Amino acid sequence: MRTGAPSCCACAVAWPGCEPAVQRRRGTGREVPEVRLLVVYGHPVPGSFSGAVLDRLVTVLAAQGHEVDLIDLYADGFDPVLVEGERQAVFEAGSADPVVATHVRRLLAAQGLVLVYPTWWGGLPAIVKGWVDRVFVLGAVYDLVPGRNRVTGRLRNIGRLAAVTSHGSPKLVNTLQGEPGKLLVTRQLRALCHWRCRTTWLAHYGDDRAGDEERRAFLDKVETITRRW
Amino acid sequence: MRVLVVHAHPGPGSFSAAVRGAAVAGLESAGHDVEVVDLYAERFQAAMTRAERQAYLTDRPIVSPDVAHHAVLVERAEALVFVYPTWWAGLPAIMKGWLDRVLVQGVAFELDPVTSRVKPRLGHVRRIVGITTYGSSPWYVHLVGDGGRRTLARTLRLVCRRRSRPVWLALYRMDGATDADRRAFLLRVRRRMARL
Repeated sequence: MRTGAPSCCACAVAWPGCEPAVQRRRGTGREVPEVRLLVVYGHPVPGSFSGAVLDRLVTVLAAQGHEVDLIDLYADGFDPVLVEGERQAVFEAGSADPVVATHVRRLLAAQGLVLVYPTWWGGLPAIVKGWVDRVFVLGAVYDLVPGRNRVTGRLRNIGRLAAVTSHGSPKLVNTLQGEPGKLLVTRQLRALCHWRCRTTWLAHYGDDRAGDEERRAFLDKVETITRRW
Repeated sequence: MRVLVVHAHPGPGSFSAAVRGAAVAGLESAGHDVEVVDLYAERFQAAMTRAERQAYLTDRPIVSPDVAHHAVLVERAEALVFVYPTWWAGLPAIMKGWLDRVLVQGVAFELDPVTSRVKPRLGHVRRIVGITTYGSSPWYVHLVGDGGRRTLARTLRLVCRRRSRPVWLALYRMDGATDADRRAFLLRVRRRMARL
């Protein structure tokens, strides 16, 4: 049953403040409306494999007609270290750190979030983890309901979530390690997004031993999968 | 035992600082030789720099003096104790950056040049201890994967001595914790560290 109120998707419920973010496509071959994607990238060395992955991703997304908003954390000199009081403070655009406030605004304006990074010690590099620590703020990205003992997500605008990463060690070792980076993205961050958010985990395992051919194959895989977004 | 305590919390008067104090008091009461690294007080640089990444696969991956100092502390340690608040199911960025920058090739592992296999190098570390606070309930932490515990008690443990059992001390539902809960947790930390 649909009412006159704006609804975000096929569901009958009109979420307050919900943007029409989630486009359905699977198997229909319909035209996909362009979406605005926030791409967050964290690798210190230009010309790295992660850089090549980013280039391919951005090229494909732009060719698909999506609007790409890129945050290159190292190039921007982003400070990943949370300062005292920042964690507890309820976000106010006027009083927050201006860089953080800008990133929060860009996150809230996007319909998808893509993280591109190398996996170090099983998870996100410090600069990317710090971006999550500082930009995922109380009062804009999540809420705390007293007595509930867990976060309540507010990122209803995010209908697509993806991580594109490369691991030095093979898949088996990562399985033993428990993949903390993968779970952070596909569970913790996923829980904050739209309830129908589509999540993509694109990982290149065993990069330490990979040759040019394997790397090229991964870039092609990135292209094939991002074309379907 | 020589114990290295690594602590990350921005507030000197925080509950996390009290937890660290309880851990150190417990360890010292048992006669351990304790060294504390307070990452926020040292203004430790979290993000690996470009020069460090470029040197990562060479013979000399350590390029900055603060990292060299910490690497010496790690090489001497027989136990590593991490005290931190859990943020987004994982370590604060400054502590993740400590792992990224200090535990490099030649300190935590060796990379075989032919097979590219990782060989553990922290065989002298007999214990890994994680002491943390979570805002959420245990079931929610479990559901979202408990990334911090996976990073320390599984990922890091793979390069430490075999059969070293990790010790995990956690206070859940931190936001709703009463003074009594907090005091009980401090006591628990102190007692457990005294019999490490």
